[in-house]
Formats: sequence, C-alpha cells, structure tokens
Amino acid sequence: MKKNNYSKEHKRYLAINRFKSWTIILFQVLILVVLFVGWEVGTRTGAIDVFFFSSPSRIWSTIKQLHSNGELFFHAWVTLKETLYAFSIATIIGIILAIMLWWSEYLRKILEPYIVTLNSLPKIALGPIIIIWMGVGSKAIITMAVLIVVIVTTLNIMNAFLNTDKNLIALLKSLGANKFQIFMKVVLPASVPDIISTLKVNVGLSWIGSIMGEYLACKAGIGYLLIYGGQVFNLDLVMTSVIVLCVMAAGMYFLVALLEKFIRKNRGQ
Amino acid sequence: MEKVIEVRNVSLTYHSMQCETLALNNINFDVKSGEFVSIIGPSGCGKTTILSIISGLLAPSDGTVLVNGEPPKAKDSKCGYMFQRDNLLPWRNIEKNVLLGLEVQGKNTKENKERALNLLDKYGLKDFKRKRPDELSGGMRQRVALIRTLALNPSILLLDEPFSALDYQTRLNVCDDVANIIKQEKKTAILVTHDLQEAISMSDRILVLSKRPAHIKAIYTLDFDKSLTPLQKRQLPEAETLFNKLWGEIQDEEK
Repeated sequence: MKKNNYSKEHKRYLAINRFKSWTIILFQVLILVVLFVGWEVGTRTGAIDVFFFSSPSRIWSTIKQLHSNGELFFHAWVTLKETLYAFSIATIIGIILAIMLWWSEYLRKILEPYIVTLNSLPKIALGPIIIIWMGVGSKAIITMAVLIVVIVTTLNIMNAFLNTDKNLIALLKSLGANKFQIFMKVVLPASVPDIISTLKVNVGLSWIGSIMGEYLACKAGIGYLLIYGGQVFNLDLVMTSVIVLCVMAAGMYFLVALLEKFIRKNRGQ
Repeated sequence: MEKVIEVRNVSLTYHSMQCETLALNNINFDVKSGEFVSIIGPSGCGKTTILSIISGLLAPSDGTVLVNGEPPKAKDSKCGYMFQRDNLLPWRNIEKNVLLGLEVQGKNTKENKERALNLLDKYGLKDFKRKRPDELSGGMRQRVALIRTLALNPSILLLDEPFSALDYQTRLNVCDDVANIIKQEKKTAILVTHDLQEAISMSDRILVLSKRPAHIKAIYTLDFDKSLTPLQKRQLPEAETLFNKLWGEIQDEEK
C-alpha cells in the first residue's frame, strides 16, 4: 500500500504517534539540560558548594586538562579494555558451562551446591587472594570482573536452556534427532532472547567488576582516578570519572542493543 | 491385507523413587496396512504411551512390537508423529518448518525437499511458505504440522490428540482435511483421542482401553461407507448408537 492511500484516521494515528516519540526524545534531552544548567547555576550563585559537588564547567576543564596530557584516554582505555576482556571471557565461559550443565543432568546435580555457594559469595571477598595470585594490575582486575560476571551468566543461560518448551524437544525426538541436533535446532535458537538479555546484564556487571577490581588493585584506570580523586578530595576528578564511565557504559549497552536489533531482524521478528 | 504393526503381550512399568507403576498390562493388537485405528480410554490410562512404544521412543518392559516386521527405532522411524500442539518453531518460516524433519535425518536432498514443498501446494498452503507460524490460523498450523510429518514419507502416522487444542469449528474442518490427506496419501494411522465422536467419525476400528493398568477392554470394528467424510459420518444414526456404547464402556472404567 502506498502512503497516500492511508485513510484520514490512519494518518492522524501516525501523526500522533510520531509526535509522541519526538516529545520523548525532547524530554530526555531536557532532563539532562536542566540537570546540568541547574548544577552550574547553583554552584555559581553559591547555593551548592563547589568543593563538595564540583560543577559542569569545572568537570569540562578537568576533561580538557586530562585530555591535553593524554591521561583521559589512557585511563579510560585501561578500564574499557579490562571491561571488554571480562565481558567477553565471562560470556564465553558462561555459555560453555551452561551448555555442559544443560547437557548432563548428572553433572548439574553434582555441581549444584558449589554453584549455589559461589553465586551467593560476594566475589570481592576473593580480592586479596586474587591479588596475591595475580599481582597488582590488569590481570587481577580482569579475573575479579570475570568471577563477578561468569556465575550469573552460567546460571541465567542454563536456565534459559532448561526452560525450552518440552513439546518442541518431544517433536525433535519424534523426528529422530540426537542431543546435539536438539540443542542446535531448538534449545539454542529458543534461548536467543534470554542470551541477549543476559548480555545486557553482563555489560553492567563487567563495569562493576572492573571498577571494583581497580579499587582493590590499581595502577591505572577510571577506578584509579576515582580512588585517587577521593583521597585528595578532588571532587572535580571524581565527578569527571563518573561521567566518563557513564558515557562508556551507555556506549557498550547501545552496542549490545544494536546486536539485538540485528538478530531480531534476521529472525524476522 | 498385510499387518504393518504387531503389538504382542506388551507391558510397561514406570519407575520413580517412590514407586513403580504398571501402566500397560499385556496389550495385544495388530494394525493392517491403510487402516485407521483409534485408541480411546479414561484419562491417564496410557494411550500416549502406546504411541511412544510404537514409534520407538520408549522400550516396552515386556513383550514385543514389530513395525513392518522389525522392532521400531526412534532414528529412521517408519512412523510420523503428530502432537496435540502444532509445535511449529516460531523462528522458522513455514517452508523451513516443513523441512525440519528432513534436515534432522540428513535427508534434505533436492527431490525430498521438492516432494515436501509440493505437499504444501497440494493442500492449500502454497501462498504461506514464507510466512511465520504466528501469521497462520490454528487450523492451518495443524495442517502444516501434518505436512512436516508427511515430509519424511512415513508409512504410519501416530496422531496424539492432534485436534484437541483447536476450537470446535476448526476441529471439524481440520479433522476432515486430515482424514482426506491421510486417505489420499494412503497412510496407516493410529489416533489417540478423548473425543468419542472424533474416533467414530475417522476410524475403521476403535480400541477401548481400561483404566490403569491398561489392557484392551473391547475392540469395535466400524463399517461405515468409506466415501463419507468424517463430518458426514458424525450425522449417521449408527454413529450415535456407537457413541452410546463407547460412552458406556468408558463410564464403567471411571467408576
């Protein structure tokens, strides 16, 4: 159907919905602007104490200064690299473990108490051990982050596999499929939406992991800047670090969302 | 006519940590080539279990089953299975759903694929090949499910309450369609159902099972005019008489 064939009512419907989505973007931008303008005005009039809250203009000059001496990219890159490594390693290991646990009910039952314990254990408690084994540096931080992400990934994806519609599995069996075929043709494709939502959760968890790791054992990175800024009461540096972190985390989430869109399109949904 | 299915002294016991349950107790029957046999009986009596054993998905605890003279194997089975739900994979289009069985069995040769897709054309689904399952009505989806089963060219069809998830009107129509397809493709069929009228309208023979542990309580041979459709058979006075008899048999068991 061509556009001009639409009825008046449908055109109105389209117009209203387009208007709505525009206003949503408008409000999203507006909130950001109001927040920053209010913050800036507040600090300039003295309603907010710059020493404790910093200000957008001071953050901006901190960014410029960090950028000019190359520190901004250096620290951001260190943290981003750790996060990406942790995200990829944990996701891959998590999926492999989930496949193994789905495959064998026996293995699943044997390992259940260990997984439950590891899942409830605050991984930060392992910090000292990791530092002693790995030393202070990126390796320790990536290990920390992987530990935080991998168990949740394994459990979520394993549950997605186990929740596959039993009727579909019965169908495949009736067609004479072996376990590998059942996995490839039904279990894996049926779990794609859950795998994607796990990836989205993993983005957040990987950042938690890498920053937490940097708090424990840092020579560089955004976590290092945060700790350092906090120790010397340089709130400009702390706020700047938080904002840089926000931008990177949002960017990574956006990439996963893009991947989701691509997969959905390929499956024709 | 030759016997294609022979069930001899078959018993089956289910095991759990709490108990063992005798589900089937010494079941005996034959099915001849081209015959349509229905199995009815009280809920949970083991009707589906019999189909699982014939398809080779489940081994009997005792007794033997022969399909075309050989013990059934799940892989490379001569039986096609049709379920209560159509079980179409939502991420595949209709064409790819129909080819699933050929893929799984590694038989997706050009001529097999063509044969399967011709069935879609033949039974009125030509324009839906590229559609997704959720774009089709329940009745069409169940027809696609039947064609997916037929794609593997089984000589025997095992129908496990294939119409019970459909609304009444669709059920009558799909029932006619499926009966017609099975007749045209010259398949032998075993139907498990709760719906006595459905059994009466489609079958050459009806086996009545007792409650658990199930044995065969009675066998009814039907001699309606073969040219009638299931819908037409439902309206015969003989159908009503038979319905009352079967109803009585089942009621006895429920007591």
